[in-house]
Amino acid sequence: MELRRQPRLQLAWHCRHNRALMSLLKDFNHVKSYRHRNGLREFRAYQGLKMSKSANNESRQVVIMDMAAVTALGNNLEELWQGLVAGRSGIGPVTRFSVDGYAAKIVAAIDDLSASGGRSMLHELLDRLLSQMGPVPPDAFLITATLKAGIDNLQSICRGRPADFQDVLLSSLCDIVGRKLGLTGSGMTISATCASSTIALAHGAALIDAGRADAVLVCCAEMITEYAFAGFSSLKALSLVACRPFDRDRNGLSLGEGAAGLLLMSAARARRENRTHLGTILGWGISNDATHITAPAKSGQGLVQAINRALTTAHRKAEEICAVNAHGTGTVYNDLMELTAFRQVFGNRRLPVYSVKGAIGHTLGVAGAVETIVGVKTLATGTVPPTAGFVHPENGAENLVSCEPQTVSGDCLLTTNSGFGGVNAVLIIGK
Amino acid sequence: MNAYITGIGWITVDSKGCGREHTHFSMPGGQLAEIKASDIAAELYPNFRRLDAYSRLGLAAVAFALRDAGLDQWEAKRDIGIIVSTVYGCLGTDVDYYMTVIPEGGSNASPALFSYTSANSFLGEAAIYFGLTGTGFAFAEQHPTGLAALQAGLVKLFREDSGQLLAGVCDIGCPPLFNQPASVPAGAVFFMLEKSRGRKAQSYGQLHLSGSDPLRFNDNPVTDLTTLVQQCLDFRL
Repeated sequence: MELRRQPRLQLAWHCRHNRALMSLLKDFNHVKSYRHRNGLREFRAYQGLKMSKSANNESRQVVIMDMAAVTALGNNLEELWQGLVAGRSGIGPVTRFSVDGYAAKIVAAIDDLSASGGRSMLHELLDRLLSQMGPVPPDAFLITATLKAGIDNLQSICRGRPADFQDVLLSSLCDIVGRKLGLTGSGMTISATCASSTIALAHGAALIDAGRADAVLVCCAEMITEYAFAGFSSLKALSLVACRPFDRDRNGLSLGEGAAGLLLMSAARARRENRTHLGTILGWGISNDATHITAPAKSGQGLVQAINRALTTAHRKAEEICAVNAHGTGTVYNDLMELTAFRQVFGNRRLPVYSVKGAIGHTLGVAGAVETIVGVKTLATGTVPPTAGFVHPENGAENLVSCEPQTVSGDCLLTTNSGFGGVNAVLIIGK
Repeated sequence: MNAYITGIGWITVDSKGCGREHTHFSMPGGQLAEIKASDIAAELYPNFRRLDAYSRLGLAAVAFALRDAGLDQWEAKRDIGIIVSTVYGCLGTDVDYYMTVIPEGGSNASPALFSYTSANSFLGEAAIYFGLTGTGFAFAEQHPTGLAALQAGLVKLFREDSGQLLAGVCDIGCPPLFNQPASVPAGAVFFMLEKSRGRKAQSYGQLHLSGSDPLRFNDNPVTDLTTLVQQCLDFRL
């Protein structure tokens, strides 16, 4: 008992008598494994961990080492960013399937995306994405995210046409990416409606934070198909014109498609490999409204809860957030809910709030990853892209949302996504 | 990363119910019996009759796990999350829904079915029915072990304030249209994980995850899901 009351003295004793322990204490991972192997000594080592808290926090910091995106604004990240800043929109007429039976007739599609040999369009989409990424460590843990994976092949099979069944499964995304990159480990595909890729990034960051991985590749892909178009049309959620996030005349979303990839690493590994990072994931928070299966909670309570969780994880205050990359789908209820939630968190602060969905549509399971990438660019350039389609501010959006680029200074921003099933997911991105 | 298992609920081809009602667990292949609202006393939940088969299965197993942990009754919403691993997810519902799209050029697409064409739909239903506001997502493992949801749950609990989370597996099987052999048995199993025993919950034992080491239960390596459930039942005895 006496030993337990004097943990720091114990540690000092151990450090004097055990050089190995001293070296172990320099690395958070080793400290943790030491803890679990050594019963009573666990407590002493943990105190050591507390004493060097700042160093350990730094080593488990989650950094973004590489990122790439394919969207309706172009086949690479630079085209996306330039298009966003210029206020361009990639939303146009649907050409991939007949829309005679639908009121809405527009989407944000990627040029010339096609399927061949019974394979899903996913393959070509992922080829375009991965060709932009630098080398990925073979031991990186793979997390993919999608709402519907190779759902184009399900359509084909339902219509009696030959198509590869494996592409229909959620895990197909992992299989394809893992094979193309020669990754040696196993992986997982997260599916959580429109928050899928945000949650994938949050889980990747949590794995690094918890010492379960020190490199995580997050890859996401989603395609425009009649399957999704008909579904959102049946819910009367599609806008007849290019969507207008936070505009008082908005009347629905525009579907988009895309792919995004981000390589996450622990700061310790990045430093060991002498690599420069592009940004950081400082915090993450996920919640459920527990209110309605397809509609958001009007009070914004779930989103507020997720934001507060993310702030807690990041050890940041709301005042430190310099901009918000909102979900901003352009549906009446989503945008109102978000404005309500932001007011609760930020009060009357006039911080820039923007949505990219008027430019690249709602890319569903990819949305959060693309928006994270845009967030990193926003912090790096000090430029908040305009919200395409935004003309007449919704009540509460005045002085927050803009159709012009805005300048911003600060070192962290918030990105949010919400989806069916009441899910809310938030990331805090840092420089 | 440690958590106590305080509740287990399942529906398999063999049996259904709460861990504390059983001494034996198995998860054989075969066809699941239909799940009714009365199975989980959800007669008053208006959404139950609208749920697809996958969601009914998942919701019922979650209900059993919460009941086993003494957490099925509630007045205020709770910060409890749900993580589920699945191979086929809502594939059957996907097919049913798309069959409503094909005729009439999509104008008759079913919004009711479309609402359940996400692998995490039933997590939303469980959240509404049981007032659960925590983390929630579904995922598919590249090489299914049945244990990844528990591992993901422990990682999540590492940073969660409330420290309560449901983790498990749910699969209804591959729709006949695809003519594929089942790679996992139909059924659902959920574990109630709690970081501490602050509410004096009875525990089946403790799960432990360290660094990149494999999952352990009461200091023994966990080999597979079925064995873990049986170990829980044995440990309680």
